[in-house]
Amino acid sequence: MSYRPGDRVRVLPSEKPGHVRTPGYLKGKNGWVDSLIGTFPNPEDLAYGLSGLPERHLYKVGFRQADLWDDYDGPAGDYLYAEVYEHWLEPQGGAS
Amino acid sequence: MGGTPGGPIDTGQHEVEDWELLADAINSVLGAKGLQTTDELRRAIESLDHYRDLSYYERWTAATESLLVEKGVLTSGEIDEKAAELERRWSGS
Amino acid sequence: MSVHHAHEEAGARSPYAARIRAIETLLLEKGILTEPEVQDGISYMEARSPANGAKLVARAWVDPEFKALLLSDGKAAASELGMDPEHPAEFVVVENTPGLHNLVVCTLCSCYPRAILGRPPDWYKSFEYRSRAVREPRAVMREFGFEPPKDVEIIVHDSTADVRYMVLPMRPPGTEDVGEEELAQLVTRDSLVGVNVPLASPG
Repeated sequence: MSYRPGDRVRVLPSEKPGHVRTPGYLKGKNGWVDSLIGTFPNPEDLAYGLSGLPERHLYKVGFRQADLWDDYDGPAGDYLYAEVYEHWLEPQGGAS
Repeated sequence: MGGTPGGPIDTGQHEVEDWELLADAINSVLGAKGLQTTDELRRAIESLDHYRDLSYYERWTAATESLLVEKGVLTSGEIDEKAAELERRWSGS
Repeated sequence: MSVHHAHEEAGARSPYAARIRAIETLLLEKGILTEPEVQDGISYMEARSPANGAKLVARAWVDPEFKALLLSDGKAAASELGMDPEHPAEFVVVENTPGLHNLVVCTLCSCYPRAILGRPPDWYKSFEYRSRAVREPRAVMREFGFEPPKDVEIIVHDSTADVRYMVLPMRPPGTEDVGEEELAQLVTRDSLVGVNVPLASPG
């Protein structure tokens, strides 16, 4: 799945076992795509000596802190960015 | 780990010990020689039983050992033996 | 034989000290690693320190073209100053502005731009920093003695993939006549991670 900057996305709430690079606190959260960082072999597979192919898109995804934490006590403009692989994202409102 | 409750941050810095520099260097060299990848090291660290009880370089050391054993490069037995020999030598016995 | 003589005190020393030395000895005996390789590995990290980051920042403060390069292609900028950034990780520099302050963390494992800045500080690797920086960045900064103003937005970067971040702090006011080398001395390691801002003035 390919995204463009500005696309509204949701991080999948998957409980996939093993090595993952999507932190728990982002799972199920809504954010937006800031930019495409590049295309890389999947680190979740590389971690076990597998090829990691096919390569996946890696996106810089932005989140409002107020959307990540119920008790966030900073201003509305405080954001958090993380790098998330395409297979951990879906369009907000569910896959079409 | 992100977002879980945590206490005050200790902003002090411990003096890095020789063995910690060695742990860092061994990992760099294994990586540079293609014998171990960053992703494998991360996975091995995350899989450690005593993750929360170990310091940063203790985790690196334990993870490196488990990867080398997993890949059949070394055995735990020979590491045990060599480590015991070194400890004996250091304590002067 | 180990390339390093150990003078750790028995009893205070971690049991892992013997294990990593055992691993080193065995890998050398089996010819998997050589002594020069291990020594180079040690020297590599020793040669890197926050002074590199300070140089990049000071140059960016005095040279707008270099600043533009630093923000668009961190690795190229680092190479221009004779530094050797990591591959294949990306090195991205994020800019503080009057309305925006950046903070860097790696909640998953403490990734850090080691090829430029050397080893990260202990606190950066702590569970406390990794868990709290994403959730309460302002409280974390307070523990380092920095209170970000309420009208400044805090942007946290969690390095979850192979991008390594460094902050380009704002140039302290009133330093227009300070030369590049002295400016570099104002740039603390903590300001490159974002838990604080640079020193206010030389001396």
